[in-house]
Amino acid sequence: MATIDSSVKMATTDLDLKRDVILEAKGIDKEFNGVYVLKDIEFDLKPGEIHSLVGENGAGKSTFIKILSGVHKPSAGEIILNGQSVSFDNVGQSEKAGIRTVHQEINLVPYFSVYENIFIGAEKKKKLAGLPYTDDREMRKAARGVIKRLGIDFDVDTPAILLNASMKRIVEISKVLVHNPNIIIFDEPTTSLGEEERERLLKIIKSLKNSGLSIIYISHNLEEIMDISDRITVFRDGRKIDTMNVEEASVEKIVSMMIGQKSYSNYQRECSYCHEDIYLEAENLYTDKLKNISFKLRKGEILGIAGVVGAGKTEIAKAIFGLDPIYKGRIKVMGNEYEPSPQNAIDNGIALVPEERQAEGLIPSYCVSKNTTLTYLNKWCKGWVVDRKEEIKVTEEYIRKLSIKTTGPNQIIRFLSGGNQQKVILSRWLNGNFDIGIFDEPTKGIDIKAKEDIYILLDNLAKAGKSIMMLSSYLPELMCLCDRIIVVNEGSIVGQFNPKEKDAEKKIMAAMLGGEV
Amino acid sequence: MEQQIKTRDMNLLNFLRKYGTALGALVLFIIFSFASKNFFTTNNLLMLLRQMSMLTIISLGFTFVMGAGGFDMSIGNAAGLINIVFAISLIKSNSFLVALILSILCGLAIGMINGTLVAYVGLPDFIATFAVGSIVYGIKMLITKGNPIFFPDDIPAISVFIGQGYVGPIPFPVILMFVFVAIAIFTLNKTTLGRRVYAIGGNPVASLYAGINVKKYRLITFLICSFSVAVASVVLTSRLGSAQPLAGEEFLLDAIAVCFLSTTMFGDGEPTGAGTFVGAFIISMLNNGLTMMNVAYYFQYITKGLVVILAVVISVVLGRKMNLKI
Ligand SMILES: Nc1ncnc2c1ncn2[C@@H]1O[C@H](COP(=O)(O)OP(=O)(O)OP(=O)(O)O)[C@@H](O)[C@H]1O
Ligand SMILES: [Mg+2]
Repeated sequence: MATIDSSVKMATTDLDLKRDVILEAKGIDKEFNGVYVLKDIEFDLKPGEIHSLVGENGAGKSTFIKILSGVHKPSAGEIILNGQSVSFDNVGQSEKAGIRTVHQEINLVPYFSVYENIFIGAEKKKKLAGLPYTDDREMRKAARGVIKRLGIDFDVDTPAILLNASMKRIVEISKVLVHNPNIIIFDEPTTSLGEEERERLLKIIKSLKNSGLSIIYISHNLEEIMDISDRITVFRDGRKIDTMNVEEASVEKIVSMMIGQKSYSNYQRECSYCHEDIYLEAENLYTDKLKNISFKLRKGEILGIAGVVGAGKTEIAKAIFGLDPIYKGRIKVMGNEYEPSPQNAIDNGIALVPEERQAEGLIPSYCVSKNTTLTYLNKWCKGWVVDRKEEIKVTEEYIRKLSIKTTGPNQIIRFLSGGNQQKVILSRWLNGNFDIGIFDEPTKGIDIKAKEDIYILLDNLAKAGKSIMMLSSYLPELMCLCDRIIVVNEGSIVGQFNPKEKDAEKKIMAAMLGGEV
Repeated sequence: MEQQIKTRDMNLLNFLRKYGTALGALVLFIIFSFASKNFFTTNNLLMLLRQMSMLTIISLGFTFVMGAGGFDMSIGNAAGLINIVFAISLIKSNSFLVALILSILCGLAIGMINGTLVAYVGLPDFIATFAVGSIVYGIKMLITKGNPIFFPDDIPAISVFIGQGYVGPIPFPVILMFVFVAIAIFTLNKTTLGRRVYAIGGNPVASLYAGINVKKYRLITFLICSFSVAVASVVLTSRLGSAQPLAGEEFLLDAIAVCFLSTTMFGDGEPTGAGTFVGAFIISMLNNGLTMMNVAYYFQYITKGLVVILAVVISVVLGRKMNLKI
């Protein structure tokens, strides 16, 4: 009796489960030029849940959500939306079906106001004398409503160019919300956000879920994944490894599923290699965004620059590299007077790995090798002629060293996954003989295992006697890696800390937030 | 199995995208050969090569500017002014060398002004080079008052040889053209200059961050362009044996057409040395072949426009099919 009962019960819950799925992907394959990027992916999304996707750089996460949102067509398999098989030829069709994506890259028109950006391509219209006009009043009102729904308040007439990174992200989310989608996909929305902004964004995403939306969420920050998800799916090399409820998951478990046979040790730096010689010295620098910046960087030192987004970390890097004009103050390199400009910087042994890989790093039309050798091109030349063989050789070396996932040195870089593009930009600078390396958010978009590889790499550079400046809004990585941490706030240095001292983390946080807390 | 078929499809698409326009040139060549019995003759083919030599040399210079993401609207008028500078200085000095040097200096001066305005002052290239072209046109008209200037009979022989002479059976301008083609292909593909030029065209901000002196290289592309214009214009003057008030003007539209055709070949949307050579061959073949077939000149313009549109549309559609643009 009892057995029959329970089997009946099983059947009904099974049925319930089936009906309880809003989006389902069955046996999805995707290949580009004969190379399989996704193979036999099974995935489902329930109403009102946050389902996270994790996996190493190049595992296929972005490709998968691009299939769901109609950017790519699958090579095989089926997508079922609300019980019906669908096939999207373009993004417009998936949007009509209620699926919207917040992409990893910010995509705002700089001189358009917030509300114009929110309604771009979907302007509200009214008729005047029989002709259609844009209805700015309605759009402003609706934009205000959406932003308020996110629990934030700012002027919808501000041009996008004046917003900071986290505000821009809010506008991107609003752009999606005004269309009342059923499903929202977030592709790495928290990269390069500071702790505070990250917390706020996570809260917003949770509240969207509580209002009944279904969410697919991609991130390399596994604490974040554990915090926000209901279910977690792990991808590795284009295959789905497993889907689990968050209760069954742990960071360690996820990591081991992600990286398979490879080893991961949760890197801790052992010793420091600081020398007495001063390699770089800034004295009372003033620029548009900076006030009275002074610091010294020693040989073999890893100096962390901490601060919330917009505090002025990047501006310090730009001033040293000659990208922002300096009004007052001076910079010395190896004790010598130095006139900042990108060419002078490189000639003086300074390297800068920029923060924005799309805008400031990639030559999208160039292959991996041409992107790798761009800066120190003369090293791979005989006279004016580029030695292609040598160039390929060094590229292959870095593909191996940083485990860059690519079909080879000749693959066009825009077809690499986000994290792998970042690794190529890193290798562009690592192959040179710089003495002073400025790394602005070097682990942006990079998976947990590759992050560890980069930490070890930076440590080795310091060991070899190079000076490193590491700019990051992710405090834990500064804490584990740096010999010394300088905190900037609103363009000024507000404190200097030894990460080993007692309560350093708390003190640094307080300094970053301007003494509040 | 299925995967292999798909790969073959992709390879075919890729082949068409890269070599489709060149194949089109071949088809056009065959059509003309059948349509006009005078087309496929040694004489006419040598003439076709000679006709295309000047356009090719100018377009190769323009390829550097476009490769770095720029544009030069002054080339037609610059060719016109240099035409006159060469003729007058040759007549006044009676020395080919003096005339050549002055012509090239004149070209480099125009390139310097273009490049400085665009790279260092920061004007949009269309506006700056259009304005410079307009000024150059005015100066030309001021000098000639719209009258042609003819070479006298006692001119140094070499000044006629440059445009009209032969080395064996081959016209000298054709040899000059192939030298330029070889140098351009080599420079664009193999040297640091070419690498940096295309990097700037691909992403100027990233190039700056990578330590490339973007302003300097943009200026250099304009200098290369107007140097090529000067050389082509000397050939033109020598061929005409005179300076003509309207000479050189058709180079602007034709060179633009050539470089757009060039972007549809071999590379990934940027003009290449080899692509520009094929593009110049197509445009010159249309000029020559349609004239052979007694097609009215206005219809030649229409055809050239249609060919450019067709080539660009096909390459964009193929690019999209291959997911090249995301
Ligand atoms: N259009 C394309 N053509 C060829 N290969 C592609 C294309 N798009 C993606 N790929 C390849 O597919 C693989 C998966 O890329 P995808 O962007 O999905 O990775 P990801 O999991 O999002 O990685 P990341 O964490 O670095 O963002 C990569 O190896 C990439 O090179
Ligand atoms: Mg991705």
